Amino acid sequence: MWQEFKSWFSGKPSREVAKGRLHLVLAHDRTGLDGGRLQEMRTEIAAVIARYVPIDADAVEIHIETRNRATQLTVSSAISPRAT
Amino acid sequence: MGHAIVITSGKGGVGKTTTTANLGAALAQLGHTVVLVDADIGLRNLDVVMGLENRIVYHVVDAIRGRCALQKALIKDRRLENLWLLPASQTDDKDAVTPDDMRSLVFELKAQYDYVLIDCPAGIEQGFKNAIAGADEALVVATPEVSSIRDADRVVGLLAAADVPARLIVNRISPQLVKRGDMLSKDDVIEILALELVGAVPLDDQVIATTNKGVPAVLEGKSPAARELVRIAKVLAGHEVADRAQVGFFTRIGRALGLSATPA
Repeated sequence: MWQEFKSWFSGKPSREVAKGRLHLVLAHDRTGLDGGRLQEMRTEIAAVIARYVPIDADAVEIHIETRNRATQLTVSSAISPRAT
Repeated sequence: MGHAIVITSGKGGVGKTTTTANLGAALAQLGHTVVLVDADIGLRNLDVVMGLENRIVYHVVDAIRGRCALQKALIKDRRLENLWLLPASQTDDKDAVTPDDMRSLVFELKAQYDYVLIDCPAGIEQGFKNAIAGADEALVVATPEVSSIRDADRVVGLLAAADVPARLIVNRISPQLVKRGDMLSKDDVIEILALELVGAVPLDDQVIATTNKGVPAVLEGKSPAARELVRIAKVLAGHEVADRAQVGFFTRIGRALGLSATPA
């Protein structure tokens, strides 16, 4: 009870933090992509999308995660409304 | 023909050697003939964990180089009738042995013993490659910590590339810490590494105490860790199915009644 109370105030239990960190670290390890390379890829992908639709390049998000030994790369971007 | 199992982890200090010693002793207690091979050349430790350090004359490199007959390098455990140790060399380095050397050594041992348990060195370099060379199967030991699981994941990838099937042992788990939300549970580790679990060994003071004396915990009483290690040995020997706790109570009843398609 007290533990629940404590974790309520201190945020996530450390077990959940460890899990989240591991999913991210393993995704990087398994693909051989570190944070820097990932951001480089994000910038390039943003530039490609921008050639087709108007977007805010800074709002493009890239995310890599593994579940069950399968690694998934997600790129998401909001598309700006047409100016006309 | 016997069965060769390498106990590996990537990270050091997670309990590979203690696990090897205990599973070996437990398999021998079950009546199997067992030889433990210390593949950590240059940093041997399985001898002290087994309490056999004063009896070493020849070692694995002597046997491989033909400086002695293989049988002469094997130390017989006096506590158990059917347990032997092949110690590592303390003076050579890891390059003294090649994967081919290990493969033929393990093959020769498999012809004479039911189980060959290979204690792998930490790391993923030459020593690791040597240790896994002759193995039919790997047991990956991981403690419920970020660093240990990260290294275990590297090892799982390398084992898959080498076509060595791997299963998981979660070591030093503290049920209290898991309950409190301050330790990854065995299910978390299974999910992250996507490996089949053979057992989860609880954190247990008794293991430290018996290891101090050079006695595998399974030979001294029934501490929680010793009980789980004996159970794991039974799973390895096929006397028992892998971790029952993984399967829900109703699923088990369903299976018992023949309601489920998946075999128990």
